[in-house]
Amino acid sequence: MNGQQIQSKIISMEIDVLKAVRQRTLDQLTEGPFVKEARLFFLLLPFFNGEQWSDKMETSARTVAIVYAALHAHDRVKEEMPISKEQQLTVLAGDFYSGIYYQLLAEGKNIEMVQKLATAIIQVSEKKASFHELALQQPEQVEETATVIETALLNAFYVENGFGHYKQLMEQSLLYIRYTEELEALKKGEFSYLLKLLSGSLIHSTFIERWLVDRLEALGNEILESINDCELDFELKNILLHQIIPHRHSAEPLTREG
Amino acid sequence: MEKMKLKLLYSDLKPELELIEKELEQAVDSESLLLNDASLHLLQAGGKRIRPVFVLLAGKFGDYDIELLKRVAVPLELIHMASLVHDDVIDDSEIRRGRPTVKSEWNNSVAMYTGDFILARALERITEIESPRIHDILSKTLIEVCRGEIIQIEDKYRLDQSLRDYLRRIKRKTALLISSSCELGALVAGTDEKTAAHLRRFGYFIGMSFQIIDDILDFTASDQELGKPAGSDFIQGNITLPILYARRNPQIYQMLRDNLNQDISDEKRLEIVRTIRTSSAVDEAKRVSERYLEKALKELDYLPKGPATKTMRKIAFFIGKRKF
Repeated sequence: MNGQQIQSKIISMEIDVLKAVRQRTLDQLTEGPFVKEARLFFLLLPFFNGEQWSDKMETSARTVAIVYAALHAHDRVKEEMPISKEQQLTVLAGDFYSGIYYQLLAEGKNIEMVQKLATAIIQVSEKKASFHELALQQPEQVEETATVIETALLNAFYVENGFGHYKQLMEQSLLYIRYTEELEALKKGEFSYLLKLLSGSLIHSTFIERWLVDRLEALGNEILESINDCELDFELKNILLHQIIPHRHSAEPLTREG
Repeated sequence: MEKMKLKLLYSDLKPELELIEKELEQAVDSESLLLNDASLHLLQAGGKRIRPVFVLLAGKFGDYDIELLKRVAVPLELIHMASLVHDDVIDDSEIRRGRPTVKSEWNNSVAMYTGDFILARALERITEIESPRIHDILSKTLIEVCRGEIIQIEDKYRLDQSLRDYLRRIKRKTALLISSSCELGALVAGTDEKTAAHLRRFGYFIGMSFQIIDDILDFTASDQELGKPAGSDFIQGNITLPILYARRNPQIYQMLRDNLNQDISDEKRLEIVRTIRTSSAVDEAKRVSERYLEKALKELDYLPKGPATKTMRKIAFFIGKRKF
C-alpha cells in the first residue's frame, strides 16, 4: 500500500465518522467530530499492514474513532459560566456520538466490543479525573495517565481483533506525539493539565522540559525497535516516521530493507 | 414527603429496590476518588428511581427474575443519572434536589468525566445481556434522548414555538426513557409482544404526563419543595406548557417577552412565577397531563389484572396528582 492509498484511507475513515454522526444542529453549530490523524493511522495500521480486515473490523474501527471524537468533544467544554450555546451543544455532541457508537455496534451485534470500549472509556475518564485530584503523581504515574488517555480505546480494538502485536508501537508513538505537543505547549508558556500534573513532582518548567526531552529521546529509539518488530513494509515505515510522528528521525536514512 | 408517598406505593418492591440501590453504588465505584465522590454525591441525592420501578413492574407480567431485571434496571438509572450531570453543565445549574450539582461542587470538566464514566458503566453493565433487541431499543433510545436535548437547546428562548414542538421535545427528553424502561422490563421477563407493546405505550404516556406535571411544578411549587429556584425553566429559556398557554394573554406575553433571556432579579422571577401560577395556564396544562394519564390507564386495561397493574395504576394517579 503506497502513501497516497494510506492517506486516502485515513480521509475515507474521517468521512465515514462524519457521516455516522451527522446531525444538522451539531454540524452547524459545533466544531464537529475530531479525531487526531495519528489515532486514525493506528486504528487502520493492521489494515495497512495487510492483516485480514473484515467489515466487522471496519465498523469496529469506526466506532473507536467515534468514541475518540466523543471524548474530545467533552474535553472542549470550558469552565466559562454561563456556558455558551456552542458549548452546550458540544456537551450534547459528545453524548450523541456515544449513542451512535453504541448503536453501530448493537446493529452489528458486536456487544463484546461495546463492553470493551465502555471499559476503556471508564479508564480514560478515571485518568482524566486525576488532573483534578490533589494527589501528587510521580512522572512515571503521569506517563501511565497519558498512556491510558491516548491509547486505551485503541487497545480495546487491538485486543478485540487480535492485533496485540501492534500495541507497543502504537503506545510508544502516541505517547511520543503527546509529549511533543506538551513540549510545544510548555515552550509557549501554556500549561496543560498534563504539564500541571508533571509540575507536581518536577516543580520547575526547566525540569519538566528536560524530562520531556529525555522521554522523547528514549521513546524515539524504542519506536525504531518496535517498527522492526512489527515487520512493517517500507511505505508504512516511511509514512509513520515522516508523517505521523513529527519527527527528529527524519534525517535517518531509510533503505528499502528498512 | 412526596417522594416518601411515592415509595409507599411500591413498597412491595422494597427489597428489590434496595438491591438495585446497592448495585448502583457498586456500579459507580471507581479507582478515581474524585469520580467516586462525584458519582456518590449524585446517587445520594436520591431520586424517585422511577425507571427501575417500571422495569420491575413490567417484569411482573412475565417470568419475574430480579437477577435478570436488575441488569436492565441499573443501566437505565445510570443513563438517566449521566444525563443529569451533563444537563447541569448545559443549564449552568447550581442546585439539584436541594444539593449542589457536580459542576458547582467541582467544575464543568469533572462533571463531563463523571457523566462519561457513569454512562460507560451503564453500557458495561448492559452488555451482560446478550439480546440484540434490547441493545437495539436502548441504543436508539439513547440517541433519541440526545436529539431531544439538542432540540431543547434549539428551542430555547423561542417564545413562539408550537405545542407540537413542546410535545416532540418532552417525548424525547423524558417519555422515551420511561417507555423503554417498561418495554425492556417486559422483554427481559419474556412477555408476549402485545403485552410488551402495551407496557411500552403505558410508559410513554406516563412519561409525557410526568414531564408536563414537572413543568407545571416549576411554577406552582416553592423553591424549597423543588430543591431549586421556582421558575428555573423560564430563566434557562425552556419554554414549557404553562408558558405556552399563558402567553396567549397579551399582557403576560409581553411580560415574558421582556424578561426572556434577561438577567432578572429574584423579585422579578417570583413575579413571573406568580403570574403564571395564578393564570389559567396551569389548569390547562394539567388537563393535557390528565389526557396522557387517561391514555396510560387505558393501556393498563389491556393487561392482566393483578398487583403489578394495580401498582402501576396507583403510580399513574400519584404522578397526576403529585405536588412536587
